Amino acid sequence: MAERKKIAAIVSEYRPRSHADVIVSKFLRGFPTDEGWINPRVEIASIHFDQPGNSDLGREMAAAHDVPIFDIMIDALTLGGEKLAVDGVLSICEHGKYAWSEKEQYLYPRRHFIEQICGVMSTSGRAVPIFNDKHLSYNWPDAKWMYDRTQELGAPFMAGSSVPLMWRNPWLEHDGDELKETVTIGFHGLETYGIHALEPMQAMVERRKGGETGVSAVTCLEGAEVWEAAKRGEWSRELLQTAWNAITEKPEGLIEKLSPEPALFLIEYCDGLKSAVIILQRGIVSDWAYAAQNVSGDVMATEFNHFRGLDPMQIANAHFSYLGLNIEEMFLTGAPAYPVERTLLTSGILVAAMDSRYAGHQRLETDWLSTIEYDSYRELRWRPTSPHPTGASIEVWER
Amino acid sequence: MTERKRIAAIITQYFRGSHADVLVGKFLDGFPTDDGLLPPRVDIVSMYIDQFTETDIGREVAREHDVPIYHSIPGALTLGGDELAVDGVLLIGEHGDYAWNEKDQHLFPRRYFMEQICGVMATSGRGVPIFNDKHLSYNWYDCQWMCVRALSLGAELMAGSSVPVAWRNPWVEHDKGVDLQESLAVGFSGLDIYGFHTLEVLQCMVERRHGGESGVDAVTCFEGEAVWKAAEQGVWSYELAEAACRAIENKPEGSMEEHCQNPALFSIEYSDGLKGSVLMLNGYVTDLAYATRHKGGTVESSEFYCQGHGGNGVHAHFSYLGLNIEEMFVTGHPSYPIERTLLTSGILEAALTSRHEGYRRLETDWLDVAYESYDRLSWRPTGPRPMGACLDPWPPKT
Repeated sequence: MAERKKIAAIVSEYRPRSHADVIVSKFLRGFPTDEGWINPRVEIASIHFDQPGNSDLGREMAAAHDVPIFDIMIDALTLGGEKLAVDGVLSICEHGKYAWSEKEQYLYPRRHFIEQICGVMSTSGRAVPIFNDKHLSYNWPDAKWMYDRTQELGAPFMAGSSVPLMWRNPWLEHDGDELKETVTIGFHGLETYGIHALEPMQAMVERRKGGETGVSAVTCLEGAEVWEAAKRGEWSRELLQTAWNAITEKPEGLIEKLSPEPALFLIEYCDGLKSAVIILQRGIVSDWAYAAQNVSGDVMATEFNHFRGLDPMQIANAHFSYLGLNIEEMFLTGAPAYPVERTLLTSGILVAAMDSRYAGHQRLETDWLSTIEYDSYRELRWRPTSPHPTGASIEVWER
Repeated sequence: MTERKRIAAIITQYFRGSHADVLVGKFLDGFPTDDGLLPPRVDIVSMYIDQFTETDIGREVAREHDVPIYHSIPGALTLGGDELAVDGVLLIGEHGDYAWNEKDQHLFPRRYFMEQICGVMATSGRGVPIFNDKHLSYNWYDCQWMCVRALSLGAELMAGSSVPVAWRNPWVEHDKGVDLQESLAVGFSGLDIYGFHTLEVLQCMVERRHGGESGVDAVTCFEGEAVWKAAEQGVWSYELAEAACRAIENKPEGSMEEHCQNPALFSIEYSDGLKGSVLMLNGYVTDLAYATRHKGGTVESSEFYCQGHGGNGVHAHFSYLGLNIEEMFVTGHPSYPIERTLLTSGILEAALTSRHEGYRRLETDWLDVAYESYDRLSWRPTGPRPMGACLDPWPPKT
């Protein structure tokens, strides 16, 4: 048997239910899925915590699995030597004590992580696959830099949210559809969860006829103005209802009454597609939903749901199993399971939306996003296809 | 008496002889100068240390001085609260185990530190003075971002090397408006780490020329035999190099070619026609120096003497650097312009890019950095060599 690929985990902090926990812990113990427990095919060979103070779980997991912890980031990549000594990198910079910006963006040092990782690869003359959790950066030049730098070195690169890999109810996957308009429902913090709503939206629309051809303008609206804009026809209240109807667990009543002051990202694509992402106020729903209308007027919708039937401390968050399995696939094959350009674009849209909001909810023309062209995946090997989590996905995960 | 300004120190590594030690240590124990030991006028109230290693003394120093160490940059700036709670920041991102890149640049996280510092200022609605040790970043976009970001928040900014405020022998300071034809600085050690110091020596002198600084059109790096050949072709002036080296006391007998196996040269074409050169002479010198030819033909040169280079001395040139920084903390006005270091950072990157791309001449239209030098510098040595409290044992007896 060939030696297992060695993976470095570079994380901000590793506490229960953190992204480090729901991703790296599965690479250590296994991936619970609807089809059962899948053992890791790669080996976590090193861990680095940027903020060790809140990483007791990480230390316990490392000890339990004989994984060395390196205090210095680059040592986790070289395993203490001079040159890159791992075959893949998980860069998980979510959570931790970092500054915010005046635009209410959380300044996670993801660019710093990728810069160090790529630095080691560049001086080692060898590039290996990297996964960057969630969006690339809170600002466009850095997001683009991260993309360009990994491309320049030839490092296969994946990034993004786990939501596109959640359970879809009913099953919906576009296959060259000619889309006219879409509405996606999200919730929680505008930036931290805005990306989780943008990613399932983009994962759907990138499969439209002609593939992705970029975004020409982004507007962020907030409060009652969101509903006023619907009345003016700037986005489709009807499609919102269609998406809302796809959500199983939701309160009774009119959305306007339940969330009188939501936020909305209006995204104008270069090919004429119009997408709205509505971020509902906290506590109303906990699942995402997407609705689309094609040029023939047909309407379709799906919910992106996840398991919540146990104490949160016992939940496996098995959508991260599917995320992990796709990342692992890249580590093994060297080919990203889906294009990183998706997350380059969603990162850019998110930056533009936060900029629009900060500039008084102005419509922002986004030349720099108008050149992002890419094709979606042909097939995705690792994903749930049933409407709700089942099997090992809903078993107790001991923390 | 008004309350003393509170300063946070954001540090990569803190070991004996590190920039954190030679700079923060003086803010804690006093600034030994030619004119005596000057007590600090500000208080270090918090530290963040990115990397603790076996050689760390930061924890011990912090304990001795009752300075809390925070485990995040926002923690050190807010003193554990929600808003900015300090009046100034020392950003010392020199040393440490960070990656390098293919251009032989050490990827210190100065931009990341600045981003976090500015984030806290932005959300607190208050900008306070920041000193960034050495160059801003290893890449131009980040250098510029750091300046624009800090200044847009109302934070005053200083940066750079300590060598411009080291001892000059003989004393040479150009009057503002001087007519220069060609200038050259001599240095040694690594192209990234010390190329920067040598560039700052050059720039702190030439920025005082007629018309002030107007930027740089092109940068070319030469290395090895090509350096000597370039002198023959008139790319740089051997005469000026000799003049600069003559000012350096501590060097072996013989010519630079005999001692320096692998010289390097940064050739800098200034927008106003001035020719600048940074000549790195490893094996020949272990001090820095400057020489210039005035438009009338007169050649002038000076050694920039640093105390305890390569050893464990007091490094009292950092006293003068620290005093100028402290002056900014106290008055809110930078002692010298940040643009100097913006430009030297950009030249350094361009030189290393030129080198990486086969020593090609790099046109640098982005380096159109125009600024004026200071009129007067409050804190600097004017003698030829360290004396007085600079020579006393360190740390001072209390």
